Amino acid sequence: MTARSMETGVSATGRAVAKTGVWARIWQQDGPGYLFLLPWLIGFFGLTVGPMITSLYLSFTNFDLLTTPDWVGAANYTRMFTNDPKFAAAMRVTFFFVIFSVPLKLAFALAVAMLLNRGLKGLPLYRAVFYLPSLLGGSVAIAILWRQLFAGDGLVNQFLANFGIIGPSWISNPNYSLWTLIILSVWQFGSPMIIFLAGLRQIPQDMYEAASLDGASKWRQFWKITLPLLTPVVFFNAIVQTIDAFKSFTPAFVISGGTGQPINSTLFYTLYLYQEAFGFFRMGYASALAWFLLLMIAAFTAFSFLTSKYWVHYDD
Amino acid sequence: MSLRISRRQLMQGAAALAAFGATGLHSAFAQDARLRLIFWGGQARADRTFAVADLYSETHAGTAIEGEFLSWADYWPKLATQTAGGNAPDIVQMDYRYIGEYARRGTLAPLDGYVGERLNLDAFDADQLSNGTIDGQLYGISLGVAAGATVYNATALAEAGIEIAPMAWTYDDLLAKGREFAAATGGAMALSPDGSGIELLFENWLRQRGKALYADGEPAFEAADITQWFELWAELRAAGAIVSPDEQAVDTGALETSPLVRGKAAMNFTTSNQLVAYQTLVQDALGIAIYPAIAPGSTGGHYRNSSQYFSISARSAAADTAAEFIDFFVNTPEAAALLGVERGVPASSTMREAVTAELDERSQMAVKYISDLGAIAGPVPPTPPPAAGEIEVALKTKSQEVAFGAQSPADAGPQFFQQVVDTLGRAR
Repeated sequence: MTARSMETGVSATGRAVAKTGVWARIWQQDGPGYLFLLPWLIGFFGLTVGPMITSLYLSFTNFDLLTTPDWVGAANYTRMFTNDPKFAAAMRVTFFFVIFSVPLKLAFALAVAMLLNRGLKGLPLYRAVFYLPSLLGGSVAIAILWRQLFAGDGLVNQFLANFGIIGPSWISNPNYSLWTLIILSVWQFGSPMIIFLAGLRQIPQDMYEAASLDGASKWRQFWKITLPLLTPVVFFNAIVQTIDAFKSFTPAFVISGGTGQPINSTLFYTLYLYQEAFGFFRMGYASALAWFLLLMIAAFTAFSFLTSKYWVHYDD
Repeated sequence: MSLRISRRQLMQGAAALAAFGATGLHSAFAQDARLRLIFWGGQARADRTFAVADLYSETHAGTAIEGEFLSWADYWPKLATQTAGGNAPDIVQMDYRYIGEYARRGTLAPLDGYVGERLNLDAFDADQLSNGTIDGQLYGISLGVAAGATVYNATALAEAGIEIAPMAWTYDDLLAKGREFAAATGGAMALSPDGSGIELLFENWLRQRGKALYADGEPAFEAADITQWFELWAELRAAGAIVSPDEQAVDTGALETSPLVRGKAAMNFTTSNQLVAYQTLVQDALGIAIYPAIAPGSTGGHYRNSSQYFSISARSAAADTAAEFIDFFVNTPEAAALLGVERGVPASSTMREAVTAELDERSQMAVKYISDLGAIAGPVPPTPPPAAGEIEVALKTKSQEVAFGAQSPADAGPQFFQQVVDTLGRAR
């Protein structure tokens, strides 16, 4: 009895020593590294992974913010596709916005980048000026400004009045309200423009010289040299901007006063999600909406990567 | 001085915020007890409320009140989030559309235990007490009696040479005078906003026809009613009596976005207590009238509502102090004098007598309106079902679809009715 307990005692101590040894070695090797990572790790697990897992769980419940959630299985996901006309409206608005705002913004950014790439004097100044809207554009202040610009008696209509045109109240007319938001998005072309500008600088000048000698027009040079060599940058910009467009929230929220009106014409997906969660207390359903948005963005990104080998040229 | 922050002030700049925060936090930490108070409303309401809070802090040494106010649309998301986080303020302002939802989910404290001791409700009107009672328990103390009312621009009407009978005008008048008014102003200003999306007005119209919005958690009207409602407004729209759909869509619910304040319409369909707030935003003299009658002499549409309540959060650690503050708020003549009738006419008869003589002209008009309603008013409807707030939004959206011509009244009626049935079914 005594011997046995002594034996266990010894072996336990032995194991404990070995354990301390392993931990000590790990600590010596990587400890300071993890210590420095700690702020990020706490943030990543506490503020990103934790809430994500919680919201995944909540998406299968009827959580209403005020009482304890009950498991409802896939009912939230079923409702999304079978019995929610507002979800369909939000999808239409969001896809319309993505399909028009992203290509327009990229085309505009590329055009300005090419203008700026012609060795202008004072280039840093122009670059800063054109980049500025990218920094400001998503803000509440700009959204309020936009509301004023496109209101019935706003600046835009005052300008149009000079030509005898009586404009409608752009932001509160369902035919135009989404377009004012698309214009607001296109106006923030600065950050893709800077990336395009860097991409244009990478294209070797001798290619253009050779093409000019062969008599290729500027137009032809653009399609045969500039654009193909720029495709990696286009690819990058398209993905980043599309994800941004899917997630767009603030402008629609501020311009429509959080309602997505008129007639749900500015009811962005994220705005609908917000309404369901905090306006109508359906946090469970809103969590399901959030996860579906994540899946949509992931599917779009995967699709882009899969098709990229057919149109993106990495030939350096 | 207590800590108080509004969205507007936040936007007005970091400097103002820092100043507010610094003074507020300083005094809050120096005090023994803190009460947190949250309400929706504009600057006029905030000024009056904070004046009472300061008065309370002066007379009750050691209690500081941290007030916060937001617009109606921002208020509910914020309150829901705070409640979910177990961090709801001690005293919350409640609306009749939401109080049932919050009370039945156990987030509000029943107040019956305080009545007679910390809360003296002896002089309270019986209908105001029953408005705040859910499933037999008292959850909300009425902050004022209000009724649906049309606030109109008397100056603009006089300039156009148009008169309405404030306590007897009808929808036929709205059509006829609306035409005249549009002719007189050359279309620059319409007589009326587009009321087809205003839930209170629709409810009033239904009640005049002997129906109601809800009964026992079901719609108490039919698809044909809503179709006729949209047809009525389509006729007014065609006659130029009301503002264009895009002018109406600018209205997000904040007073300053309403067609009345923006000078696009000569009236707005609101509640009687709002007359005071509208007058602070409009230069012209405002008057008050009933919602239009469906026929001369029609009654039963209006009712004496509680414009809002104060409730105590179920998890408040300072519930006793909160009850004392509410008692101070509704039962002290000094507080009543500061508050006036901005939240409606006081629900306590002694306070009503105390304030009425002191009131300015607009406030007196609002008080007189309530007493003039008399036989025009009907009984108070039961507490609306959960999801009443969602249906209010849905009516606004559907009314826009009709106004912009995306749907005919005949299609919109049955569709909206189905939407109401679905929404109520989901909320049960």
